[in-house]
Amino acid sequence: MRTLATLVLLSLPVTAHAQDRGPILAEITEAHILPRFANLSESADSLASTAQADCLPGSSDLRAAYGAAFDSWVSASHLRFGPTETGDRAFALAFWPDTKGFTPKTLSRMIADADASVGDAEAFSQVSIAGRGFFALERMLYDPDFADQGQAAYRCALIQAIAADIARNADAINADWQGYAALIMHPGDGSPYRSGDEAMQEHYRALTTGLEFTADTRLGRPLGTFDRPRPNRAEARRSERSLRHVELSLAALKDLALRLSADHPEIASRLSQAFDAAANRAHALDDPTFAGAATPQSRLRIEALQQSINDIRSIVSTELGPTLGISAGFNSLDGD
Amino acid sequence: MTKLFTAASALTLCVATAAFSSDAPSKADVLNTYADIAEAKYDDSLISAKALQAAVNALIAEPSDATLNAARAAWVAARVPYQQTEVYRFGNAIVDDWEGKVNAWPLDEGLIDYVDAAYGGATDENEFAVLNVIANPSFELSGETIDASKITPELLGETLHEADGIEANVATGYHAIEFLLWGQDMNGHNAGAGNRPWTDYAQGDDCTGGNCDRRAEYLSAATELLISDLEWMTAQWKEGGAARAALTENEAAGVSAILTGMGSLSYGEQAGERMRLGLMLNDPEEEHDCFSDNTHNSHYYDGLGIQNVYLGEYVRIDGTPVSGASLSDLVIAADPALDVEMKAKLSNTMQALGRLKSTAEAGFAYDQMLESGNVGGEALIMGGVNGLVDQTKTIERIVALLELDQIDFEGSDSLDNPDAVFH
Repeated sequence: MRTLATLVLLSLPVTAHAQDRGPILAEITEAHILPRFANLSESADSLASTAQADCLPGSSDLRAAYGAAFDSWVSASHLRFGPTETGDRAFALAFWPDTKGFTPKTLSRMIADADASVGDAEAFSQVSIAGRGFFALERMLYDPDFADQGQAAYRCALIQAIAADIARNADAINADWQGYAALIMHPGDGSPYRSGDEAMQEHYRALTTGLEFTADTRLGRPLGTFDRPRPNRAEARRSERSLRHVELSLAALKDLALRLSADHPEIASRLSQAFDAAANRAHALDDPTFAGAATPQSRLRIEALQQSINDIRSIVSTELGPTLGISAGFNSLDGD
Repeated sequence: MTKLFTAASALTLCVATAAFSSDAPSKADVLNTYADIAEAKYDDSLISAKALQAAVNALIAEPSDATLNAARAAWVAARVPYQQTEVYRFGNAIVDDWEGKVNAWPLDEGLIDYVDAAYGGATDENEFAVLNVIANPSFELSGETIDASKITPELLGETLHEADGIEANVATGYHAIEFLLWGQDMNGHNAGAGNRPWTDYAQGDDCTGGNCDRRAEYLSAATELLISDLEWMTAQWKEGGAARAALTENEAAGVSAILTGMGSLSYGEQAGERMRLGLMLNDPEEEHDCFSDNTHNSHYYDGLGIQNVYLGEYVRIDGTPVSGASLSDLVIAADPALDVEMKAKLSNTMQALGRLKSTAEAGFAYDQMLESGNVGGEALIMGGVNGLVDQTKTIERIVALLELDQIDFEGSDSLDNPDAVFH
């Protein structure tokens, strides 16, 4: 996927420089970020202990715990900087899209070899990211192809190991945020952020990258092209969570956008309306896995949802960014 | 217009620049140097691709261990200038739109030729993953019967490449040629590249792997196509060419394009997609030049291209320097300390990538480095990743310093046209 193309010179009002970023940085950190990683840690711990007690793929307790933990990850997954990037934690929590089928390959190989790392948390943390995290666990819990591979006892141990590894990463991110919070709230000496502008740019980038990922990847992959729709590429379709992830990410990104625009009520109000329009379209879709991408009528409605997210992106990049005097910089989606 | 300097005049220029270091060069001059370097790099890529073609012709005419190895050496040499052009890709739409034809990766090589049984069959993502056009003069593609009895540049470029809209169906470019010269690397995490026997090109009874005539036809067509694609791109950077014109249309946007190319290649593409992801997946196929085991060079010359674009100094494959007013000069005039920071970080990255390269050349192959639990390998690769991530931060600071942040330099295409990203 080639993302970059044209260079557009926007004619913009003169931006306010040297804005006091302190209050917004504190607000975003304390009210947006810290609670999300606390929730993730708590729900991931609960997933691990549930799996310990009941590792049957069809178990409703286990599936509920899985859903709750995955929900908290998706609600925090746009915050890809600092503690999530240490030791590949975020990659290990959610490796997707998996364009070459690494996850099923890795799991099948582990099951076939009865790979001993499932019995040792430290060894398991060295397994390929494709064999760990929510998408690996989804295969084990929901993919019929994995229901009878190898021995039941090994599958159980594998499910427990993946759940424990999710909890380990979630706890580590949450613990590190307790220290990182001060660094991003107080840029300057000793902080990776040289100025308030740089710390603001990190949050602004989280917003733009999150919107880009939801529009282009979460929706764009299953949409494919009109002639060649790809509903099988929908995110977490086996657990029927594809649309849910779009809704959760929109809710999280709205919260961040409103905090970023707190000093500019006019823009905040336009953003709020645009997010609500997108959320309403998502809510009305009634197509949990975007299976409708393949039929013209329902496809149109998924495209309309994607367009409404692109409308938000347009307000963010042409109004919010310039007003704050911040650009998105580079993100991990740049490139192919 | 390529500027050629003798050593003496280059020295004079250095002195002159130093004397007036507080004066910013004009943006027009900086863009001119950038375009001159692009023209020189693509021209070097073309020259070395022609040398590759001569070696490929010799292999086909007289297949032997010696002619196969000569063709492989020519391929490795051709990568040196080409990888240094990659810094032009993400800032210049004309390059990005074209690039997939010459350097697409990763690929499902079963589309092209025979593969080992362990490679698997068609996948959810790609039903043509094992099409094997060399063995099949006729096949079905998206409901149409394709006549592939002659393997021509047109068949590869217009029908087979990205067949069924799938990017892993790479039928053309450097990596297709690489596969035809080396074959699959069956060594897993052990040392060693692909080991295609020269007899895969032997005609008559000596032929191995079947269809040696069609394999030769494919290799010849793919090389011919590479040359015509490079000829086209070189022309775009000449005086009056479309790439040069687009770059200089708006000077601020042009300078922004330089930084966009540097930052996007450093961060999302090289540090992320090409280096860190492979390490996290521990997959020996997730190395950029996986058939030839040339990945360390691929990374090194990508990094070098970023550095020489910033410094405005490129040395051509015949030793001729190309240099002029640079982005570095622009930064010096606005904030000399930031220029020092940028130069130090670029040089840290080159040191880390150089360490990766020298260790690989000493026998510790990139696919060994990728192995799970290989601490030394991980440190070598992460050294490069960290350098690239760190330099991106400073590239962003330069964007802010030069007040280019009002230019939407990222992904606007997908905003204007939601379908555009799937082309």
